[in-house]
Amino acid sequence: MIRLRRTVLFLLGITPFIYIGQAIVRLQLGEWEVLGPEPGKAVVWFTGTWAFNFLLLTLAVTPLRRLLKQPWLLQHRRMLGLFAFFYATLHLLSYFAFLLEWRFAELGAETIKRPYLLLGMTAWLLLLPLAVTSTRGWQRRLKQGWKRLHKLIYPLSVLVAVHYLLQIRSSWFEPVLYAALVLCLLLLRWRKATVTKHADGHNS
Amino acid sequence: EQIGSARETVFGEDEVLTPYSSVTQYNNFYEFGTGKDDPYRYASKLNTDPWSVTVDGECEVKGTFSLEDLLKGQQLEERIYRLRCVEAWSMVIPWIGFPLADLIKRFKPLTSAKYIEFITLEDKKQMPGQRSAFSTIDWPYREGLRMDEAMHPLTLMAVGLYGEVLPNQNGAPLRLVVPWKYGFKSIKSIVAIRFRETMPRTTWNDIAPNEYGFYANVNPQVDHPRWSQASERRLPSGLFKPNRIATRLFNGYDEVASLYSGMDLHKYY
Repeated sequence: MIRLRRTVLFLLGITPFIYIGQAIVRLQLGEWEVLGPEPGKAVVWFTGTWAFNFLLLTLAVTPLRRLLKQPWLLQHRRMLGLFAFFYATLHLLSYFAFLLEWRFAELGAETIKRPYLLLGMTAWLLLLPLAVTSTRGWQRRLKQGWKRLHKLIYPLSVLVAVHYLLQIRSSWFEPVLYAALVLCLLLLRWRKATVTKHADGHNS
Repeated sequence: EQIGSARETVFGEDEVLTPYSSVTQYNNFYEFGTGKDDPYRYASKLNTDPWSVTVDGECEVKGTFSLEDLLKGQQLEERIYRLRCVEAWSMVIPWIGFPLADLIKRFKPLTSAKYIEFITLEDKKQMPGQRSAFSTIDWPYREGLRMDEAMHPLTLMAVGLYGEVLPNQNGAPLRLVVPWKYGFKSIKSIVAIRFRETMPRTTWNDIAPNEYGFYANVNPQVDHPRWSQASERRLPSGLFKPNRIATRLFNGYDEVASLYSGMDLHKYY
């Protein structure tokens, strides 16, 4: 059962990648209109959006598990998190390749001047150790430290939300919706944490 | 619908044209949505016939004029202009139109007219973007020029592109084209023109005055706070060949420089 669920989830998670991949292949084969006249920007936005989607799904696992009383959901959190990392990495790479054209000198200057770039890049750097230590082996090796390390997902989600908010020009619906979802998912934990702490206090 | 009578001119004949499909399927016209293909997808609902334009303010000839009336006696010509969007992409478009100056003269502006204001149609039924609760734009869209900018021979009133009547998504039936300014100055689907003594409010300047100035002259030296204006992507761009070119002051239309002599372009951006 768990195998089947994992396979289905993997296939669903890889679908956006297959979609953008085939579009890029068609583009390179001469269908230049398949991603519009600014294909680089289209790829960067697409991968960024899916990174954020998977980040939200990862954050939603614990509250949903409690709410729906479905403990098995936890078995799939790692894959969701890794998909978030996968799309975030594609997002970063496509930004470097298609928009920046690997001019890293320019990146330095741009990053200092444009806070949203700095936030996005910091968020990816925080996500990287979480992806690396996502295996059972690392979980065992780090013991209690693993849980603490993986709490990095909370601050990095805030960075990602602000990274998106800072790009609003006129239409604020989507960036605000994503930020609101992050906020809700974080508040659920904060409430849970304070409730637990109070309960502990009474017990002692 | 083809326009047969346009005269060819020497403007931009050495430029490589942006394909018709990019020009008509990728642009900003927030009245129809904020996506780049929203104008193409939703602008067919716009009814441009009949169309009229109200003229008032500091001028002798005021009133509401039908489009036919405004176009009567205007010699249409084709002009190939570079269009530089404030978002750092650019196109080359063969417009059909006539100098704005020729239209202005008919309204006999008074000497007190220092600025000219333009307003786009506001009609929530025809323009789904105006129904959006998530837009920061205070409709209708407004733009403006200083009188000497408006009278400059490069400033065009366009009614067509690529040899045909303007597609709705490109600002039918009547739009401004000011090639040395960022694209958002070139207001679309104009329904009102007002001659004014004072500088008019303009839409993007209202929303984010630190990002979009009244002048909005193309200037590689003055960055948008969130991105550099030093270069632009000439569309269509490829994935691995983004077609990036250096942006030129006044979008390369050096003949307008004298309009701004003595002005600090970092301050009046």
